[in-house]
Amino acid sequence: MILGPVAQIVAFSLCALIAIAGALGMATTMSMFRSGIFLMASFIGVAGLFILLSADLLGLLQVMMYIGGMLVMILFMVLFSHDPGGAMMAGMQLPIIEKFFSLGLLPREQKQEEQSQHAGNGHQPMEQNGQDDHAGHADHGDQDAEQNGHDEHAGQNGHGGHEDHEDHEHHEHMDMSMTTPIKKPAAVLAVLVGVILVGLLLLRPAWPIVAATPNPNSAEMVGHLLMGKYMLAFEGAGLLILIGIFGAVFLARAGHFPDERGREARVAVDAQPTAPEAPALQPVADADPPDAAELVGVTEIQTRRNLEKDGRGEQ
Amino acid sequence: MGVVLQMPVVLAALLGGALLTLLLERTLLQRTQTEPGPAAAVDYRHAVDPPNADRWLYPAGPVLALLGVALATVVIPFGPNLIGEDLGIGVFYFIVVVDFVVLGIALGGWGANTPDAVEACYRIVAQLVAYVIPLGLALVGAIMMAESLSTVAIVEAQTGLWYIVLQPIGFVLYLITGLMQAYRAPFLEPFAASIQQGVLHTSGGWQAMAWRMALSGVLFVVAAMGAVLFLGGWQGPLLPGPVWMLLKTYGLMALMLWLGTRVRLRSTAQMLALSWKVLIPVGLVNVLIVGMLILLGVGTA
Repeated sequence: MILGPVAQIVAFSLCALIAIAGALGMATTMSMFRSGIFLMASFIGVAGLFILLSADLLGLLQVMMYIGGMLVMILFMVLFSHDPGGAMMAGMQLPIIEKFFSLGLLPREQKQEEQSQHAGNGHQPMEQNGQDDHAGHADHGDQDAEQNGHDEHAGQNGHGGHEDHEDHEHHEHMDMSMTTPIKKPAAVLAVLVGVILVGLLLLRPAWPIVAATPNPNSAEMVGHLLMGKYMLAFEGAGLLILIGIFGAVFLARAGHFPDERGREARVAVDAQPTAPEAPALQPVADADPPDAAELVGVTEIQTRRNLEKDGRGEQ
Repeated sequence: MGVVLQMPVVLAALLGGALLTLLLERTLLQRTQTEPGPAAAVDYRHAVDPPNADRWLYPAGPVLALLGVALATVVIPFGPNLIGEDLGIGVFYFIVVVDFVVLGIALGGWGANTPDAVEACYRIVAQLVAYVIPLGLALVGAIMMAESLSTVAIVEAQTGLWYIVLQPIGFVLYLITGLMQAYRAPFLEPFAASIQQGVLHTSGGWQAMAWRMALSGVLFVVAAMGAVLFLGGWQGPLLPGPVWMLLKTYGLMALMLWLGTRVRLRSTAQMLALSWKVLIPVGLVNVLIVGMLILLGVGTA
């Protein structure tokens, strides 16, 4: 499909905007999950540029790789992340760009009055702490903590008037790694490199213009190249991936990490719903203590689930 | 056809297809009395406002899912000239844009930020890892024989003999991975009743409507793509093309759904095991067999 010149400019602007805004959001948002999604958006914007350049196969490959790959990567990142949802960090006093890309991360209860919160916070275990501390803080009127918060801010950001009092409950949780002294030189360096690269692009003497139209059947061409000219590299990459899979299977071989009992309670199915509970019927003396404790956990989860279902039924 | 005209027509096709899908699915579910999964009832009237939601990602979920299904509908041919756009890399494009549904469910689940919805987010990503390779292997057979990625060319290559006859293994593989891709029983783990249908439970109002359309639509496009790849698309005697296409699509859909209710539901871990231990080896064997058939001159023009 050939686009007209206006449509081309509109499509280019849109893709470029997604790519740049995505990259900016990736670097500035407080939520690690959002950060990954912004990176994905940025790459999808670049894929749009590929498609505009008639490299449709390459563009779609990029989209496929980054949706699948980035989602898996985000999940692994969440496993090791302290505050992946960013609800804690978003409560801090932030510069304008970081504030914009962190909009809507704060839980609603924090803005309103204290509500009894149930459920929620599936991925923000620290959230509860924040709430509790906040309550305690309000009661005691802890001046020292407030003062500390002010000093830290003045020291880091260096733009005097911090009259904004609405976020103060989070000051004692501030993660100082956010504002390391290297931040400013690093930013200057990054901008400098960016300016030089863009300058080189713009000052390049002449861009050759070729009249030839690209082959519409790009998949066939890429296939021939991969199976002909670049066969060695292609097969080598395949071999590397195969070895990687072998390594992963070797590391995760069965027997080392027995399945956790508690998860069985939440798995879909259940043709035999009694399966997890069956051992609980044994005499207590026979079961060994940690096992029994686990089983109690399971039944608790199930009871809670039933209660939730009932409550929902009433609504 | 200009883009302005194409978009409403494709959207109308998607809406009609999704509606019929929903009716068929509801009828089957009433008969079999199994877990509804993505077809579970949702509340269209009341918007849900989860207190801890990420208020950018949460509404982005259903929008992205619907966008993915709408983009996938573009390459499905309902007749010789009745197609949104006959892309040169149609089938590959189809696989890629359907991934946006997974992305949407992951965003919606994480964004809603309730334990059940976040669990749905994890499960859907694991399910993507499980189905995407065997699905690709199932498609490769059809692509190899048709020597094209274009959906129209694949249908035209089946004029003499449908690929279901030449590639029965590929067809069975597509049935299984198609069910995984559409999150229907027995692979409805992200929408299981034990997590209150995941993202569906934390959505209401326009979001519930968008989820309904996206989740019915994804089954519709998966069944339609199966009809295109293995059942000869719009081709058939007597009746006009679009009628054949719809008959094959809904016939295949009914077969998939019915077969799905015949077996026990699978957990995500079981899905992954099934995928790596059975489906991928079988898919590779299928590609080998199809390659040999092509070398023998069977099925090629």
